[in-house]
Amino acid sequence: MLSDESIDRRSLRFTWYYSLSQLNTKYRYTALGFVWNFLEPALYLIILSLVFAVINRMNISDYAVFLFSALVPWRYFEKVVSLVMESLVNGEWLLKKLYVSPFAFPINKLIISSFEFIFSIVVAFVLFAFLKENWTIHLIIIPIAIIPWAVFGFGLGLICAVLYTFFRDVKPLVQMILTLTFFTSPILFSRAVFLPDSFQARVMNFHPITYFAALFQKPVYNAIWPSEIDWIVSTSIASVFLIAGLFLINKYKSKFYYYL
Amino acid sequence: MNKKIIFSLENINVEFERHSLSQRSLRNALGRKLNKHKSEKIVALKNINLEIRESEHIGIIGRNGAGKSTLLRVISKVIIPGSGKVYFDSSKHIVPLLELGIGFQPELSGRENCFVAGMLMGYSKKEIEDKIESIVDFAELQNFIDEPVKNYSSGMYARLAFALATDINPQVLLVDEVFGVGDEFFMNKCMIRMKELMNKGLTTIFISHNLDFLISQSNRLIWIDDGEIKLEGNPLTVAEAYRNSDNKLQLVKTG
Repeated sequence: MLSDESIDRRSLRFTWYYSLSQLNTKYRYTALGFVWNFLEPALYLIILSLVFAVINRMNISDYAVFLFSALVPWRYFEKVVSLVMESLVNGEWLLKKLYVSPFAFPINKLIISSFEFIFSIVVAFVLFAFLKENWTIHLIIIPIAIIPWAVFGFGLGLICAVLYTFFRDVKPLVQMILTLTFFTSPILFSRAVFLPDSFQARVMNFHPITYFAALFQKPVYNAIWPSEIDWIVSTSIASVFLIAGLFLINKYKSKFYYYL
Repeated sequence: MNKKIIFSLENINVEFERHSLSQRSLRNALGRKLNKHKSEKIVALKNINLEIRESEHIGIIGRNGAGKSTLLRVISKVIIPGSGKVYFDSSKHIVPLLELGIGFQPELSGRENCFVAGMLMGYSKKEIEDKIESIVDFAELQNFIDEPVKNYSSGMYARLAFALATDINPQVLLVDEVFGVGDEFFMNKCMIRMKELMNKGLTTIFISHNLDFLISQSNRLIWIDDGEIKLEGNPLTVAEAYRNSDNKLQLVKTG
């Protein structure tokens, strides 16, 4: 799939160093610097949990743990999709002047957002220290549970990146779909609020994010391992999107120059 | 000439669609499809055949918009042509200088930019580390190398970019009219460095409007007109023909 090995090693080396220096400068010029990275997700999480605890009629500390468990990976996913989507168009300054692999900028965005994810998961755990009573062995699955999210986000991001390069008006469309997906998924509210046989409960079974969310909600909130079905459905969806994304980039890479 | 082929282009055609940014939308694309409207094409390169061998010094001349820069972008793999075959020797360090400072980030310091841009040219971290002192010396930026390049003057920027491009180990240099920045002393320094490299066997492809420089430095001149190779060969002959065509045009204008 990837032609010319030496050139691609060059692109990867560039991507890695470029990402590191970007992260480096980000903290160099902010007054709060490093602290800001913890403050921003902390404020976001606290405000959301206060608001939705009322709607969900749940105990606030209980609800906060539930919410944070799937919200943190969702925010990461959303960020990966939107940054990767714009990465080709924003990389125009380089892509039109020098040959660099079309994957260089998408991978760069994946690295940057993964770094930010680490910050927010640390913040979430600091908050859990106050809110959560049952700390169990199941938490060790988290570093693996994020992988399907990352792969899904990267794959979807690549598909959107190709679309966005050719059609600039897909951006609001993608954002709308993401918002819709978020509010229909069992991230904000527990599936338990619906009757088992109700229409809403059945919709949840077909919602892809249900299975991704379970990878985090089960170990963190329910203190159980994610089920086999959760793993199978989430990894299959993620792989399909990744393969489609890689295929589309390779198919259309020769046309990018003319549309950037 | 039995030297190794570095680049070979066969029947290269490049076309651009005449479309503006606002047309790159789903709405417009659907509209065009429904109306069966064909977008207008601009031919940038037509049927180009070219072979460039090791240690050749090629000069490219032609009027503005003739397709010189497009040709250089095809050679450096930035543009993938609509049809035709491009071969290039990937074992060589090909350094494109389509403009000075490609890959430079305004927020990063001069030193960091040397690494980012150097890696884009295919050098490893170690290779750049070994040469960084000599790059700084050549660019005369000892006191500014750790400043962000957004604070550099345009001369400083160009000096650093040129030093980086030529100092490490370039084997093929593609230059698109980038000289003429920096003061006269630095220009001379650049010219001396270029001549040194060329004598050492570096392959160069130059786009320039400075005909005298091309005549004295290149061993083959290519005249591109309207996307086609109009004439190619001995620098003096080609330059003569190019000048004459230009004179005619100027006579029309003044008369």
